[in-house]
Amino acid sequence: MAALLPTDHFLIMLVYALLVSTFFSLLWAGERRARLRLFAKIFGALVLGGLAVAWLMYPFPK
Amino acid sequence: MSEIAAASPGRAWTAVLLAWVFPGAGHWFLGRRKRAIAYAVIVTATFLVGVSFQGRLYSPEAGAPLTLLATFAVFGSGILNIAARLLLDNPHGAILSVTYEYGCAFLLTAGLMNLLLMLDAYDIAAGRKE
Repeated sequence: MAALLPTDHFLIMLVYALLVSTFFSLLWAGERRARLRLFAKIFGALVLGGLAVAWLMYPFPK
Repeated sequence: MSEIAAASPGRAWTAVLLAWVFPGAGHWFLGRRKRAIAYAVIVTATFLVGVSFQGRLYSPEAGAPLTLLATFAVFGSGILNIAARLLLDNPHGAILSVTYEYGCAFLLTAGLMNLLLMLDAYDIAAGRKE
């Protein structure tokens, strides 16, 4: 299984966002359309939020 | 506690306990079969990704109080956590691994997800949720 897993940071973040978004959309929404909408919202927030934080941290030295 | 849970507390707490033992087991017990399978797949996948990334299965450490919280979170995974601790050569993870921090995040998330599933199982058994 380890060979199938990404080592690229962005891909790992996508995998995490996918799992978390799927989980919460199943947990919090009852109907299919509502689930898809919630999934898109959470996934978008995680991925775009992560990218935003990454860019905000960009000016800071290592 | 709601009236329904008070009337059949055994059923509610059985669902909660099963939900802790294995992700989705509580929902399966309550008859939500499709949802149980979905939760089982998602939480188990998250846990296995964390193990594959060589994340750490936390245990309490003296002088590090946050490890208590981390241990509580990881133990939320139930039998997955226990089996991993017994079967893995190094349950402390590989701190020098590039994916170590990600592994820790995935393992903590899997445990916390399952804790939410325990609460959800109780809500369903108590009639608060369909």
